[in-house]
Amino acid sequence: MKETLILGIESSCDETAAAIVKNGREVLASVINSQISIHQQFGGVVPEVASRKHIENIASVVETAFLEAGLRHDEIDAVAVTNRPGLIGALLVGLSFAKAFAYGLGKPLIAVDHLQGHIWANFLEHPDISFPAICLVVSGGHTSLLLMEGPGQSRLLGETRDDAAGEAFDKVARFLGLGYPGGPAIQKAAQQGTAGIYNLPRVFLDREDYEFSFSGLKTAAMNLWIKQSRKGEARVEDMAAEFQAALVEVLVEKTIRAAKEYKAPSILMAGGVAANQLLRQLMTIRAQQEGRQLFYPSLGLCTDNAAMIAGKAYLDYVADNFAPLHVNAHPGQNSL
Amino acid sequence: MYILAIDSATPVAGLALLNDEKVIREDFINFKKTHSETLMPGVDRIMHDCELTLDQLGAIAVTIGPGSFTGLRIGLAAAKGLSMSSGKPLIGISTLDVLAGNLVFSDNLVCPLLNARKQEVYTAFYEAGGAYPRRLTQDMACSPQEAAARARELAHRLGKPNITLLGDGFYPYEEYYREYFREDLQIVPGPLMLPRAAVLGSLAWQRARQNDFDDTFALRPVYVRLSEAEYRLGKGAL
Ligand SMILES: [Zn+2]
Repeated sequence: MKETLILGIESSCDETAAAIVKNGREVLASVINSQISIHQQFGGVVPEVASRKHIENIASVVETAFLEAGLRHDEIDAVAVTNRPGLIGALLVGLSFAKAFAYGLGKPLIAVDHLQGHIWANFLEHPDISFPAICLVVSGGHTSLLLMEGPGQSRLLGETRDDAAGEAFDKVARFLGLGYPGGPAIQKAAQQGTAGIYNLPRVFLDREDYEFSFSGLKTAAMNLWIKQSRKGEARVEDMAAEFQAALVEVLVEKTIRAAKEYKAPSILMAGGVAANQLLRQLMTIRAQQEGRQLFYPSLGLCTDNAAMIAGKAYLDYVADNFAPLHVNAHPGQNSL
Repeated sequence: MYILAIDSATPVAGLALLNDEKVIREDFINFKKTHSETLMPGVDRIMHDCELTLDQLGAIAVTIGPGSFTGLRIGLAAAKGLSMSSGKPLIGISTLDVLAGNLVFSDNLVCPLLNARKQEVYTAFYEAGGAYPRRLTQDMACSPQEAAARARELAHRLGKPNITLLGDGFYPYEEYYREYFREDLQIVPGPLMLPRAAVLGSLAWQRARQNDFDDTFALRPVYVRLSEAEYRLGKGAL
């Protein structure tokens, strides 16, 4: 079998990343320059600051990937880059660099949807996924349930009407004074607390469809917190635990329901929030109970990285699905 | 030596190919189309039309600011990508130097002005007595009124009777400048008002001939201004 080496570049949010992946599966190098510590002082990702860091780091991150893989620039077969969705200024740094780099090498360019990349993180580590599969994509920007008939073939079953799960984590964490990023901050506080002491709604759980809503949950948590604080009975750990439980329960039960309805033997999770421990534990238990196989990427591949972009691009490479030099970046999501 | 010049610092999209000082081709577009869509197809067209490959270039030149933050990054990211893939060195040139280069062999004080929005301009002051601009001050972001006052003060100190303003920071405040400088103001004709990639290439050639190149990895845009968030945080560069 011919070996196909693809360079992936990712700059859609606050990580500058490059990776080289063989045949869509084998990660030869994966370099991530995280800006989390820089954005922490602002309490969240600042788009202009992120873009400034991307342009400073992009060339050395890409060069480091080649050094790690022990490859010359001209040994790769294609250059893949995230061109949507994300922060437009941040996307443009990676895309502009990738176009020029591919052009200079005389190699084809592949534009990759960031969310398709997150989903592909599963295929980097698990070659044995059977279809159909239900995929839950949960991140700072997205909460979507997809039905997958094969790798790269997905249909949207439902998504969030308002805040994404990760966004709700960030906003509530900031409100409770737990810091940024919100997911890990709430998870840490929740470990010292107990869910069920406070009661928050399981929003949309009673509905038959696969839509989500976390804005209401966020508001309910804030209101309850203000009320309890006035009474002088507010314990932030218990609030964090209840908020996390309420959010995770909805994600898990809707995913399980979809797996049953579509007779899917496999369940996949993808995106930064798929790193949440409670979500992993609960989904594991429920998938086992229902006789489904659960897959999720290892922690380093849940958060933003370029290996998932280079991996997903292999499908496009095989299908001759290349991007023209005038391809642009788009802040919004492609239809999944 | 062939030099490919790339400018996307302002609404103008400029590309040029030079052989030493000789301009072989220049593309100038001052029309609403995004740089990210037009830049690389433009590079491809120039190289193709001029029957050249990147291998044959001696250097890649790019405007590094001041200018539109996003525009600067599109140009520099592309220049870095071309430099890294071709192994050709990079030369970053100030957008204000390029603008000032539109005026030569003149006794005037030259003040290139870039529209910095928020009622401000980016500027620096130059002497134009020779074939290439000679910079007198650092870049700054300030109100058009402050730029004008500083220009007059500096012109007076240097004994220069006339002042030339140019750049896209001139037009929005044209009435004010005309009123302020009166007959001391000498405006260049339209084709010399905006940055020209051919000038960028020519300034880059002056550096390339002395082997004065930039580090592809380290070269950064010159923003002059902090980002809004950094400004509010009230601290220096991160
Ligand atoms: Zn992501």
